[in-house]
Amino acid sequence: MTTVLTPPTESGSHKEPPPLKPPPRRIGRWVLFGAMIVVAVIMLYPFFVMGVTSLKSESQFLSGGGFSWLSWSSLTSVIPVGQEVLSSTIVCSSSIFIILCVGLPAGFAFSKLRFRLSTVVFLVIVSAMMVPLQAILMPEFVNVTKLGLTGGYTGAILVYAALGTPFSVFLFTTYFRGVPDELIEAGIVDGLGYFGALWRLVLPIAVPAIATVTVLQFIQIWDDLLVGLLFIQNTSDRPITVGLAVLAAGRTTSIPELMAGSIISALPAMLVYLGFQRYLVKGLTMGIDR
Amino acid sequence: MAEITFDGVTKIFGDNIPAVDQLSLHVAEGEFMVLVGPSGCGKTTALRMLAGLEDITAGSLSIGGTVVNNVLPKDRDVAMVFQNYALYPHMTVAQNMGFALKIRGQSKGEVARKVGEAAAILRLTEYLDRRPKALSGGQRQRVAMGRAIVRSPQAFLMDEPLSNLDAQLRVEMRLEIARIQRLLGVATVYVTHDQIEAMTMGDRVAVMRGGRLQQCDTPQDLYDHPKNDFVAGFMGSPPMNLLRVGLETTDAGVALALGSQRLAIPASYATSHHLPRVDGPGVVFGVRPEDVEVRDGSSADSLTTRVERREALGAEILVHLSLVDVGGDNAIVVNDSGAVVARPTKLVAKMGPRSGVSVGDHLDVRLNPDHFHFFDADSGLSLRRGV
Ligand SMILES: Nc1ncnc2c1ncn2[C@@H]1O[C@H](COP(=O)(O)OP(=O)(O)OP(=O)(O)O)[C@@H](O)[C@H]1O
Ligand SMILES: [Mg+2]
Repeated sequence: MTTVLTPPTESGSHKEPPPLKPPPRRIGRWVLFGAMIVVAVIMLYPFFVMGVTSLKSESQFLSGGGFSWLSWSSLTSVIPVGQEVLSSTIVCSSSIFIILCVGLPAGFAFSKLRFRLSTVVFLVIVSAMMVPLQAILMPEFVNVTKLGLTGGYTGAILVYAALGTPFSVFLFTTYFRGVPDELIEAGIVDGLGYFGALWRLVLPIAVPAIATVTVLQFIQIWDDLLVGLLFIQNTSDRPITVGLAVLAAGRTTSIPELMAGSIISALPAMLVYLGFQRYLVKGLTMGIDR
Repeated sequence: MAEITFDGVTKIFGDNIPAVDQLSLHVAEGEFMVLVGPSGCGKTTALRMLAGLEDITAGSLSIGGTVVNNVLPKDRDVAMVFQNYALYPHMTVAQNMGFALKIRGQSKGEVARKVGEAAAILRLTEYLDRRPKALSGGQRQRVAMGRAIVRSPQAFLMDEPLSNLDAQLRVEMRLEIARIQRLLGVATVYVTHDQIEAMTMGDRVAVMRGGRLQQCDTPQDLYDHPKNDFVAGFMGSPPMNLLRVGLETTDAGVALALGSQRLAIPASYATSHHLPRVDGPGVVFGVRPEDVEVRDGSSADSLTTRVERREALGAEILVHLSLVDVGGDNAIVVNDSGAVVARPTKLVAKMGPRSGVSVGDHLDVRLNPDHFHFFDADSGLSLRRGV
């Protein structure tokens, strides 16, 4: 893997004479540490509030004192949480599956095969990343409706896949450009065809890229409301984000119940991130280079 | 095991300049053929065409008597060792070595047995469970070799497999690769730009320049009878001294005009070589550094020189000599912008470690008259008859 190493540069800010150098560095570390704690508190505080609030009943929330499991136990009767998490999971995993199935071979082709207009096609696909969802939402809705796909999950899955694919093509292309051609050629000389090489060499080598695409797309799709709201019209097929939105829009919304629902909805994305994070950091230098 | 034949093989990339131009070369069964030449001369391209990684523009290429121009790489049954080894990073050493066999659907037991055998030959047995990342450069090189030899392919193709190793390891692996190749007796095409590797490893050596084959011979023949001045200058370290000189007639017969000095050419060369006419365009005269010997006192067959530089290499000393009193054409000529465009005629001599020469000394040197080389001044082709 080609890594661009920036040469170590002299830090311009260090004007002190040499003997004083160690203390400022240590102070710098503490300052950094302190800043990170502040940032962590700012980021985690909403979760804390969510957690605490969800552990109160409606009246406890309004009066401020005491804890109970009431809002958690009543949550399932207010909205079909289980069904909605399942819907979200189906939509999310199907879209990501399509995004990976298209992005990986496309990235391989763009980076390793020479064919006419490959650069142009690549640029066109990648430039689709710049198009904001809102700009194409209405035409897309019309299309999907005309195709009669707004009933089940299909419409939403296709829209998510279309939105995520340009990024995934881009990421896989960049990733494979860093994989030496010789590696694939070694496989081909060893007896693989192009599809064999894709399946038996490229796929395992691409695990970090697959993980990156999966995590980023999962978070994006799981947390998205707009597409789910528009393209999944059956109330029984609602994803969790839409469910929560409905809950929040109700006339007598229970804030603790909303918080409990929010935790359930936020948790999977966090778990996926934590689970795959290992591959995101690792792997990019799998020892391909020497 | 098979023979390999390049017949007028040409490769033209987009820019219309042939990277490999009309290459005709035959590699016999079990032969170790070295392709050598300067950077960009088309060695890698020739090898890649053989592996099937590059289309052939013209000509025909056959392995074991079958034309393979349109045969897919996977069906050619050749094994290639890449310059950067290209080990599969996600597999262990054993998996790397067994991969090709696994693809071909051999049973687990058989793969393990063959990998074990190859690992023993390459002394890799204790590393079989490691990933390439956790190996040293030399070990990775051996794994790359192992990946090739487990397959018992029709041919081995190696592209500068030693160029990423340090000098000592390179010497070691040079012997190792040659040993394994003899052991297995598989036709091998080995690409390098290192002429020492070429000389020591090859049964025959093919020298290329600018996509064209210059000469293909045994290392010794190549060294003793280079077909042109390029091969003469390329093979050997330090390279052959090549001087562009005129011919003159003296009392003793035909002589080389080296500035004001004259060096008699033994009469035998007039019959063994097509020497050009006296006072004509001249020739390129070649003599190897080891054929330049120091003499006590000047004589008819010696040249007077001055020591310009000495490089002690331990076992030998390279002495850079300039001919004294060269005058005329051979003196330093400086062009308008101050750059040197011609230097006084220089010779490099290889001397014993204890020869006490120092810079500025005047030496009389004799050029061993048995080992003169003459090349055409324009084409650079050897003037030896019958080549
Ligand atoms: N894919 C390519 N497209 C265009 N030109 C190429 C390509 N590959 C090689 N060439 C050109 O073909 C010529 C021969 O290249 P090649 O790699 O075979 O040289 P080489 O003898 O292996 O050199 P080196 O010793 O530096 O590896 C070079 O001029 C090179 O620029
Ligand atoms: Mg090369």
